[in-house]
Amino acid sequence: MIRYQDGSLAAFEEIYARLATGVRRYLWHLAGRPEVADDLLQETFLQMHRSRAAYNPKYAVRPWVFGLARNVFLMNRRAARHWAKLHESRDALPEFPVLPDADRLGSQDEIRRGIAHLAPEQAEALLLHLEWGFSFEEIAGMLGITAAAARARASRGMADLRVALTGFQRARV
Amino acid sequence: MLAIAQDLKPVRPAPEPFQLALRMAPLALLASSLILLAIGPRHDMASLGPLLTWGASAAQFLLAIALVWIAARESSPAGRLPVQVVSFAAIAAVVVIVSISLLTFSTSPASEPVLRVPSRVNEMLHTAPWIMGFACGIGSTLAGCMLVLLFSALFRNSLVARPVVGGALYGAGAAVAINAGWRIACPVSTLGHSLGAHGSAIIATVIAGALIGRFLGNRRLRIGRPAGPLR
Repeated sequence: MIRYQDGSLAAFEEIYARLATGVRRYLWHLAGRPEVADDLLQETFLQMHRSRAAYNPKYAVRPWVFGLARNVFLMNRRAARHWAKLHESRDALPEFPVLPDADRLGSQDEIRRGIAHLAPEQAEALLLHLEWGFSFEEIAGMLGITAAAARARASRGMADLRVALTGFQRARV
Repeated sequence: MLAIAQDLKPVRPAPEPFQLALRMAPLALLASSLILLAIGPRHDMASLGPLLTWGASAAQFLLAIALVWIAARESSPAGRLPVQVVSFAAIAAVVVIVSISLLTFSTSPASEPVLRVPSRVNEMLHTAPWIMGFACGIGSTLAGCMLVLLFSALFRNSLVARPVVGGALYGAGAAVAINAGWRIACPVSTLGHSLGAHGSAIIATVIAGALIGRFLGNRRLRIGRPAGPLR
């Protein structure tokens, strides 16, 4: 990021190569539609370019960019005056890998359905921690909550996910 | 990618939030002192004592710098403070200002506008005291808005996230800093004046900060071009 601030295009390309896939999936999770996620991804990296002077090496790059992506999503949601409803059934759920603690409890499709039925803030904290590997402190800085609150949301999300997956299993039987 | 490649001039990284706040402190101190330089300190300084004059204003000034620091943190995508901290700071600012106003009034309930100005001005203020309220309200609002504009020259590249909230917090910092100096110069301690005229100026400056933040955020981040329908 420091090289990028110095004017290196190669540094920008490296940042894009490392982060674009994860950011796109995060935006897909927030927005609910892949085509919207693609637009927001472009907007995110444009905003990153415009705001590159505001980056301070005190922060890790990944949470800074993911936080920027979240802000881009929120601004577009306000501008479009629509609300993303994570509880709606969708034709295309994001392709998340099976979460480490849940892979024993259900198929990937069941896990995705279970996540889709979590409260939005629980799903977001759970995925940011388990899917994208952010610490609870980093999640707190991105969402404007305490680290304890981030941990509690993820924990409750996992507990609710287990309940949902157990229900799916029983329904299969 | 082409647009980015064509716009890759080197940029100077923004300072850390605490450093940003420290850079704004001299600006705030200068703006806060202007009214003191213009009309001098209030006539009842001796009865109020150093603690309730300089001490209380120094505490308010430190609170102003803290609000600016919170604004800088809130504007960073990865450095946001918990909402409870931001709310606590806003409530603390209100409590501090109201408490200082109450203490000042209870110690010296000065209601006569006695200024170090030509005598005919004082006579006019005696016959029409509402002019004093008007002058304090408008004057401190203008001073606060000018300070926020000066702040924006420093924070314009740092408003990455939540520009309206960030701008409002910068406005709150500017307003509290201006009030810290204004209250030492203003001769009237009545609650109607200190909370009415000065309080209105603080609220107006916070709103001005929010509007400046929204303008800077919209200009840099081009809101109004939604990326497709969100359902």
